[in-house]
Amino acid sequence: MSIRHGLLALLDRGPRYGYQLRVEFEAATGGTWPLNIGQVYTTLARLERDGLVEPGGADEQGRAVYAITGAGREELERWFGTPVAPGDRPRDELVIKIAMAVAGGAVDVAEVIQAQRAATMRALQELTRTKRAATGGLAERLVIDSSIFKAEAEQRWLDHCEAVSKEKSS
Amino acid sequence: MTVVVRLAEVTREHGDVRALKGVNLEVAAGELVAVMGPSGSGKSTLLNLAGGLDRPTSGTVTVEGADLATVKDLAAFRRTSVGYVFQDLNLIPSLTAAENVMLPRELDGVRQGRARAEALAVLEEVGAAEVAGRFPEELSGGQRQRVAIARALAGERRLLLADEPTGALDTATGDAILQLLRARCDAGVAVLLVTHEPRYAAWADRVVYLRDGLIVESTSVRLESAR
Repeated sequence: MSIRHGLLALLDRGPRYGYQLRVEFEAATGGTWPLNIGQVYTTLARLERDGLVEPGGADEQGRAVYAITGAGREELERWFGTPVAPGDRPRDELVIKIAMAVAGGAVDVAEVIQAQRAATMRALQELTRTKRAATGGLAERLVIDSSIFKAEAEQRWLDHCEAVSKEKSS
Repeated sequence: MTVVVRLAEVTREHGDVRALKGVNLEVAAGELVAVMGPSGSGKSTLLNLAGGLDRPTSGTVTVEGADLATVKDLAAFRRTSVGYVFQDLNLIPSLTAAENVMLPRELDGVRQGRARAEALAVLEEVGAAEVAGRFPEELSGGQRQRVAIARALAGERRLLLADEPTGALDTATGDAILQLLRARCDAGVAVLLVTHEPRYAAWADRVVYLRDGLIVESTSVRLESAR
């Protein structure tokens, strides 16, 4: 995604100024995606150039406010209506490491798997603690849940690697 | 911290099969420990030994200071000291939720009125007060599991053993069950949880992995309390 679609989604709720967009963006993503204020303004400038937002004057404290345009709403609708492609994930270092461990023969695959599994479980425990302590809304919880599901998938894959490599070697 | 259950050099053989080969494990009051491992690794054997459902071939199991080898009436010990939550819930279909929770207490000689008051209090605690008068078949999977947990907790038991308590529940309901176990734990109960699902194990303070009857790794997170 783009930050642009995130900002459009926030502006769809009503006109907002830059700092407010930053705070709301971070709150909605459970703090997993920090933005700096510079990114917010650059993105707003591009959205304005593309006709998706327009300046909405100033609020009572003189802050420059932006509003979504009709074209902006259409773009947002298109974005929500289009599934995300599995696409261009960077190559996964862990997958390469395990593949190399299996192919190489010089390292103990079981040890590599165990070390990783312990680390992933610790991460999963910490995510669960974050979730228990979370006081934000539904969006925050679901963002943390997403990280939990991903860590869990990695953990299951490691269990699978262990079981399969044990089968092959016995 | 008070140790509630301690396994020391515990082995268990079933005929020629060595299900556990020398396990050391302690669970303290207020601690949630999860046991993971592939099928056949000895997870359920470990849980059964910790709860006095089975006796070790060698080694000792101590619950609240009592060596289980010296406990003559294990059935009475199980009813009064240990709560069990299993995947197949074993609620009795002809009894209401409240009656299911009361049953083990009544078997222990607690009078009906007091058993009922206790049952209603503990059902309230687990968020199942509104279903107290319903029969198991009238409850959802999540509600049934809450009732089973209430039954395991009635009578101030300090040790709770849970074997795949999230069984076939969807993940949101499974999370709610773990939230509940965690809350009991934070109130001072020791919980030993067997699960094959990492997402639920992650609610624990400590996660131990069993493989071929031995503990091979252990991860703990002791951060500032998230309570």
